[in-house]
Amino acid sequence: MQDTGKNIIIAGVGGQGILLFSNLLSKYYMKLGYELKISDVIGLGQRGGGVESHFRYSTKPVLSPFIKAGDVDYLLSFEQTETLRYLHCMKEDGIVFSSTFELSTSSVNTRLEKDMPESKTEIIKRSGNKTFIIDPDENKSSDFDISKMMNIVMLAIYSEFRGYPHEEMIQIVKESVPEKFVVGNLKAYEKGISIARAKLA
Amino acid sequence: MKMMNGNEAVARGAFEAGVKVASGFPGTPSTEVMDYTKHRYSDIYCEWSTNEKVGLEVAIGASFAGYRSFAVMKTVGLHVAADALGGAAGSQINGGLVLVVGDDVGRIAGDDYNDVRHYGNMFNIPVLEPADSQEAKDMMIKAFEISEEYTTPVILKITSVICKTTSAVAIDENYTYQVKCRNKYKISFSKVIMTTMMMNAKGSEHPKLTKCFNDFPAHMKRLAADCNEFDINKLELNGKKIGVVTAGTPYFYTKEVLPDASILKVGMVMPLPEKLIRELAEHVDQLYVIEDGHDLMEKNIKDLGVSVIGKALFPKFPEMTRFTPDIIEEKLIPNAPKREVVDGIPFRLPVTCAGCSHLFISEILRKHKIKTAADVTCGLIGCFPHMETYSLQKCMGSSIALAHGYNVATDHKENFVAMIGDGGFWATGINGLMNLIFNDSQSTTIIVDNSCLAMTGGQHIASSDFGFNYKPENKLEIAKVCEAIGVKDIVTVDAYEFEELEKAILNAVNSNTNSVVIVQKPCVTRFKLPKSDAYSINQDLCTQCRKCINIGCLAIESKKGKDGKVEIVINEDLCVGCGLCSTACKFEAIKS
Ligand SMILES: Cc1ncc(C[n+]2csc(CCOP(=O)(O)OP(=O)(O)O)c2C)c(N)n1
Ligand code: SF4
Ligand code: SF4
Ligand code: SF4
Repeated sequence: MQDTGKNIIIAGVGGQGILLFSNLLSKYYMKLGYELKISDVIGLGQRGGGVESHFRYSTKPVLSPFIKAGDVDYLLSFEQTETLRYLHCMKEDGIVFSSTFELSTSSVNTRLEKDMPESKTEIIKRSGNKTFIIDPDENKSSDFDISKMMNIVMLAIYSEFRGYPHEEMIQIVKESVPEKFVVGNLKAYEKGISIARAKLA
Repeated sequence: MKMMNGNEAVARGAFEAGVKVASGFPGTPSTEVMDYTKHRYSDIYCEWSTNEKVGLEVAIGASFAGYRSFAVMKTVGLHVAADALGGAAGSQINGGLVLVVGDDVGRIAGDDYNDVRHYGNMFNIPVLEPADSQEAKDMMIKAFEISEEYTTPVILKITSVICKTTSAVAIDENYTYQVKCRNKYKISFSKVIMTTMMMNAKGSEHPKLTKCFNDFPAHMKRLAADCNEFDINKLELNGKKIGVVTAGTPYFYTKEVLPDASILKVGMVMPLPEKLIRELAEHVDQLYVIEDGHDLMEKNIKDLGVSVIGKALFPKFPEMTRFTPDIIEEKLIPNAPKREVVDGIPFRLPVTCAGCSHLFISEILRKHKIKTAADVTCGLIGCFPHMETYSLQKCMGSSIALAHGYNVATDHKENFVAMIGDGGFWATGINGLMNLIFNDSQSTTIIVDNSCLAMTGGQHIASSDFGFNYKPENKLEIAKVCEAIGVKDIVTVDAYEFEELEKAILNAVNSNTNSVVIVQKPCVTRFKLPKSDAYSINQDLCTQCRKCINIGCLAIESKKGKDGKVEIVINEDLCVGCGLCSTACKFEAIKS
């Protein structure tokens, strides 16, 4: 059956390359002729704040730039505290991809608030949705800095999961990132494929 | 078709409208309108002005010269420029004059719960509101046409949602830029001058009097009648149960949640298309208004004698900051499912970048318990409870006058200090400094010279070494200007020279003359300053006193270690090696 469109939330914190991620993904869907609306809501992202991108592609014109709670097909999250903020937005059969990376919040650091007693990864796993947990520490590589290139790793994981042709995605990456970063990005992309294949096996 | 965000689309609209001059002042979310205009469309003269009022006055002057011009700012900025707008409203317009104003709907950028449409009501001028990028481009062009046809400034309201949402825009690739120029009036006076003349003109048809008069009430009446035919106001008659008057992105939320409703989507939110509203009201059983911001359309519709439900069903701030499809569903769809957010997720207070000069200043002020007013700058993060450095903070450019007021009221017994960014200083703060000098005040001002407007992304200012129209010989030196104004005691220090900076601030605070301390360090993030080796915390020496955490550096975290015990650690990916935290640790636990 032809894919008539999906609703995706991309979440994380400032500096994780979320805007680049949604930009790359949009180029792919544009090539396929989909209609798109992408809303990048950045609070004070530059300084470690939350970043949230609502990404909608469809064969019909996209109306609301924001995805209604309950309508999210995929959550792609680069930081696990941020993952928690969107779990209630998932469709029943929606799928969560979440990095275990965690940037502590200033309010917990300074004891204005207590951190959650339970492991955040466990809460995500328990959410009732299908979840893919990606641990950047377990996937460190000397070829590229995974803390900076999780966006490309995630792009590969998502593409593998959706069965998209990697050559096309790689071509988009090559066209979009500065020359000097291409090699590192491709390494990150390969890593993403191998993570996804191991998970899906 | 090209994918564009709202800011990009507005810039494209300016280009296609044949705009000659773009001015204004940065402010989230609309700053990039200027960036795109400057970088894509070199035919348009661009400037960041010293503040919004100046920016708008530049555009008004250019418009009088006959050229289409726009000024861009955020709503908070229009408060600064309001007097200039009052001067232009109702006066003769030659080249179209448009204000592109970024309204922080939903307080996404952290602004006050403002609504720019009030200016439309107050000054009796039109306000247009696009709902996506295509409309943002089209309405920018329409705004210039309206401005010229009805001889009025026009506000194009763009929101934090529109500005940051990307969607397809139809572009004529073959369009070649053509500057538009129209010289209809030889004079253009403010309403005050004009109406004074008009009163005298009663009974007198002397051409010297009549040529000054612009019948602005008649223009607005004509606009109010004509707008029922404007294609930017769209009446979609559908089901008879629910009717909705809406504008901007809430239109799309409404369409998605209520596909059967009859909808009047107004593209011009001031003045409202009365005929279309009545037509919709007659067609449906119940009329609602779904508008972001204040209940302005609601009040204006009720003033027509049409009954409509708005905030009675959708309470506004603080109950909600902006519409979402979810809110409409919850209120208007029976048995809508309720979804609960996971409980107890910690919130993120904004944090200052690692290595920022503001942290050095804040640390010294806190260490010596120096009472200080903060300005609107990156440094205002020091007001939040994880830092608690500042005790007073209001609007941009205010801190110098705030401190001066405090000092005269307390007979200068405490030296209440002002901290201000270089941008805030040039914008309006400089007035505060001139004011305190000639009123013989002994206040101390700390000016954070980081060579840009950092908080909005690093735009240039009068003392920057770069800029759209930059020439080295035109650069203003903060120290020289302070000297010329008459400041008695001026020192300039490098932010990273902690001891010197501490001495300079203490000397200034303790001296009994007015003083300025200029703290220099380019913004670490904007200018991508090179990093030094990261610092780390020796857990054996750390007593967990948490002093280093209160510095407010993004790189210092309190985290559970592998054994479940909390540790204070430095995130080596984020640390830039500035060494500030090691100065603060009494236990010598922090080393590079
Ligand atoms: C009247 C007004 N105009 C614009 C803004 C948006 N704004 C917030 S902070 C800022 C830049 C401040 O720059 P500066 O004073 O140099 O301090 P820095 O952030 O560089 O420390 C601007 C333009 C505002 N808040 N109020
Ligand atoms: S952007 Fe620049 S001035 Fe603002 S917190 Fe970061 S380093 Fe400091
Ligand atoms: S200031 Fe020093 S002792 Fe105190 S928590 Fe920080 S590292 Fe530990
Ligand atoms: S040295 Fe300390 S204060 Fe400076 S960036 Fe690193 S952690 Fe932050």
